[in-house]
Amino acid sequence: MRSLLNFLLRFKTLILFLVLEAVALIMITTSHNYHQTVLYGVARSVNGFVAERIERGSYYFRLRRVNEELMAENTRLKRQLARAATSPLLGFIPVADSVSGVNYTYLNARVISNSVNNQKNFITLDKGSAQGVTTGMGVASSTGVVGVVVGVSRNYSVVMSLLNTDFRLSASIARNDYFGSLAWNGTNYRYARLSEIPHHVRINEGDTIVTSGYSAIFPAGLMAGTLTGEQERGGDFITLEVLLSADFKRLTNVYVIGNLTRKEREILEEEVPR
Amino acid sequence: MNSLLRYAGAFVLLIVLQLLIFNNIEFSGYVNPFVYVMFILILPVSIPSWILLLLSFLTGFVVDLFSGTMGVHVFATVMAGFVRPWILSVNVTSETVEAEMSPSSYRSGLRWFFVYTVTVVLVHHLALFFVEIFSLRNFLHTLLRVVLSTAVTTFFIVLFDFFRPHR
Repeated sequence: MRSLLNFLLRFKTLILFLVLEAVALIMITTSHNYHQTVLYGVARSVNGFVAERIERGSYYFRLRRVNEELMAENTRLKRQLARAATSPLLGFIPVADSVSGVNYTYLNARVISNSVNNQKNFITLDKGSAQGVTTGMGVASSTGVVGVVVGVSRNYSVVMSLLNTDFRLSASIARNDYFGSLAWNGTNYRYARLSEIPHHVRINEGDTIVTSGYSAIFPAGLMAGTLTGEQERGGDFITLEVLLSADFKRLTNVYVIGNLTRKEREILEEEVPR
Repeated sequence: MNSLLRYAGAFVLLIVLQLLIFNNIEFSGYVNPFVYVMFILILPVSIPSWILLLLSFLTGFVVDLFSGTMGVHVFATVMAGFVRPWILSVNVTSETVEAEMSPSSYRSGLRWFFVYTVTVVLVHHLALFFVEIFSLRNFLHTLLRVVLSTAVTTFFIVLFDFFRPHR
């Protein structure tokens, strides 16, 4: 007993060091549900409060670019509208829509804090549960997919960025509908990788990559990026490099995407035995 | 008591600087300075190593809490706190450092402080970046991030050291 005590006393620094590092490692490995904890909720509120005030100050310097982005998006939507209005299918013949009505709804939000230089990047938005944001909602900018909401407080929400090595997005090649998994490998913030594409699929440089709509988070056909032509072969699949269409370094305004029938879909998918 | 208040002030100041300014520095994805390590560097030479470890844990925890990276900064800062006494003992000759004082370039010379800072910061950044990525893939890329960030962090710490009140 005494020799044990002596031993502990002699190595008390080393033992304390090992215990603290073990605690740190436990914190790291269990951090996937960290964003739901109360402690982080408090930190998020403080963070959001400070970040919002800083962002308000710097917003004016970005107004010009924000305006240009909005104009570009308006033009694109106007064109779509014109196309829809002249389409005889919609104009004169009643359409049997299998999806029945509106499925997705959008809420605009401002990015008040953002990073691209970590392995696990998160974005803070100025909308929270008071505005109806819940965890699991998708987030996109006018140019492309941005991420998924992982935590909300009353007035703020935290989004897991596509630039987070834990993030996976079901995405497909728009031209031929082959789908795979889009993920970031942690190096360059402009590029992500689309994996699990079968060998025989013919791809062209510049092919558009869009969301597949296989998860209830994003509607199908939302722009994510374009193929650069770089590819890695290995096993049964190829991995393609994707130039992301959203510029994460300059995010200002984004849309939070709510799926109105998500609950129904998830309940059904859970009910079915597999 | 007075010095306790000063260290508490340094703690708050460094963490606020880190969270509001340095966390937002993004230079081509390679440079992420973490100047809050300076708090571990400037604690008195005579501080018992177990208090040093606990303070390292607390520092890392606060940074983690506000950066949304649970555990990563704790791991790296505890590592830095653990190696600090050894780096001090290797670098210290009895005339350059007295027990009660806080390590600084003012007392011990710029060259000494620079070597001391670089070593502790390098250990911290190595632990931080490799634990963050949690694998050895992109090894050289991560190593480059460590080296460049260490250089920038060291620069700022040595710079801040000039502005410290020396009494």
